[in-house]
Amino acid sequence: MDKLLSVEMLNVVYGKGKDSVHAVKDVTFYIKPGEIFGLVGESGCGKSSLGKAVIRLTDPTSGTIDFNGTDVASLKGKALKTYRQEVQMVFQDPYGSLNPRMKVGSAIVDVLQVHKIGNNTMERRARVTELFEAVGLEPDWAWRYPHEFSGGQRQRICIARALALNPDLLVADEPVSALDVSVQAEILQLLEKLRASRQLAFLFVSHDLAVVRNVCDRVAVMYNGEIVEMGNVADVIDNPQHEYTRKLLEAVPSF
Amino acid sequence: MKNKSQSLWGDAWRRLKKNRLAMFCLGLVIFFTLLAVYGEIVYRYYEIKDVASPYSLTNLDIAYEAPSSRHWMGTDGLGRDVMARLVQGVRIAYKVGIITSMIAIPIGVILGCLAGFFGGKVDDFIVWLYSTFASMPGLLFILAIAMVVPDQGLLGVYLGIGLTTWVGLCRLVRGEVMKHKEQTYVQAAKALGLGSGRIMFKHILPNISHVIIVTFSLRFPAAVGTEVIMSFLGIGVQGEPSWGLMIDSARMRLWQGMWWEMTFVTIALFLLVLAFNLLGDALRDALDPRLND
Ligand SMILES: Nc1ncnc2c1ncn2[C@@H]1O[C@H](COP(=O)(O)OP(=O)(O)OP(=O)(O)O)[C@@H](O)[C@H]1O
Ligand SMILES: [Mg+2]
Repeated sequence: MDKLLSVEMLNVVYGKGKDSVHAVKDVTFYIKPGEIFGLVGESGCGKSSLGKAVIRLTDPTSGTIDFNGTDVASLKGKALKTYRQEVQMVFQDPYGSLNPRMKVGSAIVDVLQVHKIGNNTMERRARVTELFEAVGLEPDWAWRYPHEFSGGQRQRICIARALALNPDLLVADEPVSALDVSVQAEILQLLEKLRASRQLAFLFVSHDLAVVRNVCDRVAVMYNGEIVEMGNVADVIDNPQHEYTRKLLEAVPSF
Repeated sequence: MKNKSQSLWGDAWRRLKKNRLAMFCLGLVIFFTLLAVYGEIVYRYYEIKDVASPYSLTNLDIAYEAPSSRHWMGTDGLGRDVMARLVQGVRIAYKVGIITSMIAIPIGVILGCLAGFFGGKVDDFIVWLYSTFASMPGLLFILAIAMVVPDQGLLGVYLGIGLTTWVGLCRLVRGEVMKHKEQTYVQAAKALGLGSGRIMFKHILPNISHVIIVTFSLRFPAAVGTEVIMSFLGIGVQGEPSWGLMIDSARMRLWQGMWWEMTFVTIALFLLVLAFNLLGDALRDALDPRLND
């Protein structure tokens, strides 16, 4: 079985000594190409910390993160920059995720330039147009400032930006929880579409079991920094083994 | 689409326009700026023609004439027209204000960005550095630098003021960068593989540019004031009229009733400082969205 990402015995500890927080404890899981892998758990259980460790915004304290055969847990400099092209992230807060003083398209052109994609600004702008079309936005809107967009539109822009480098894995940290319910569905559809058209895999962080049930293939339940249960979505949600998973499900009336 | 197409600066300008005092100060600042440009042109003109400029020609026959229709602000002890010298003094004042800013602002911005962005040891070092600077008595330090720099007139003044007045801006920039560093757009930029320099100066800096503009408008008149004090103490400009020199020479005869030179220079200095300060304050308020509408 081929794996895109394989995480083993990963630990993330913030700080040192008495005040340290052990946010991620001995976590092991894998994600297959084109798979949507859900991560659920209550607030503060370490979901974001795990996601940030995978994309290397946080340095893991120990453990391995194998991506396509290379351990990326301790990559630095150039190698880390190359890894950035493989894994990208979409954040929860669409309002803070865009630089308020930069046209949204210019921010994407900037990324392309840093990674030497495209030969000149013309080619990069053309790429921005493609990306905007891919996420269902008017290409002309690329040359506007963030404050002119709604939350859902911003989240589409963030997705376009993340796709600029053509990644194989997208860490989506609660990508819809800040949005209206109707807009949530549109963004989730977009993610599904991207999975199908680009073989894009997702680490999909959420605390909403209904959403997870709808979009994920497999799911891991996280509690207090540890993964307590993992499996196919249907198995875990319809037939939970761990007591904590049952509690989580009880809290949601529709199940 | 939300149609709130105003940018930060557009908004600020709209609010500033409603503030009549601020607009009056803006007018004054523009007026002084034009005088400074005029003074520079006059100075260059006589330099190229290689003749002594009329405002520095002495004529003892008309020394200490009170204001009249021929000399609106009177003449000084060497028979030179006070108004012409006052206008030339604006040129020196602006030079000091601008050149010292060109030294102090880059230092403050760069060190502030580095400290705020990298934190840890870099931050410790920079905080130590500016605390050290801040704990030294400013004017003494400026005088020390000016003494060490060989003659060259104003160079010592520029360096002295420039190297001692970056601390306030550095503190402000450091704090702002720390705030922005935690925002998601900076996290996203890191995840996208942008380098630290690019994130600091291309992405964060435009978000805090208002801090720099406001600082400039507040430190500019302060630098002019310092030049006046230094010229008064005998360090700085030689030959060209500066407000400091004028005050220094005027004070000798003040008690004999020669009030005009001192009065007009003081008024000019007062207006310049006041205009910049009030405009800077108004700008700071106009740029702070929490204080408006
Ligand atoms: N930079 C940090 N420094 C210190 N502690 C941190 C840091 N980031 C997170 N933590 C702590 O680590 C723990 C896990 O936080 P994390 O953000 O990963 O949780 P989460 O599951 O994403 O929660 P939420 O659902 O609220 O987003 C929390 O106790 C949090 O306070
Ligand atoms: Mg989180």
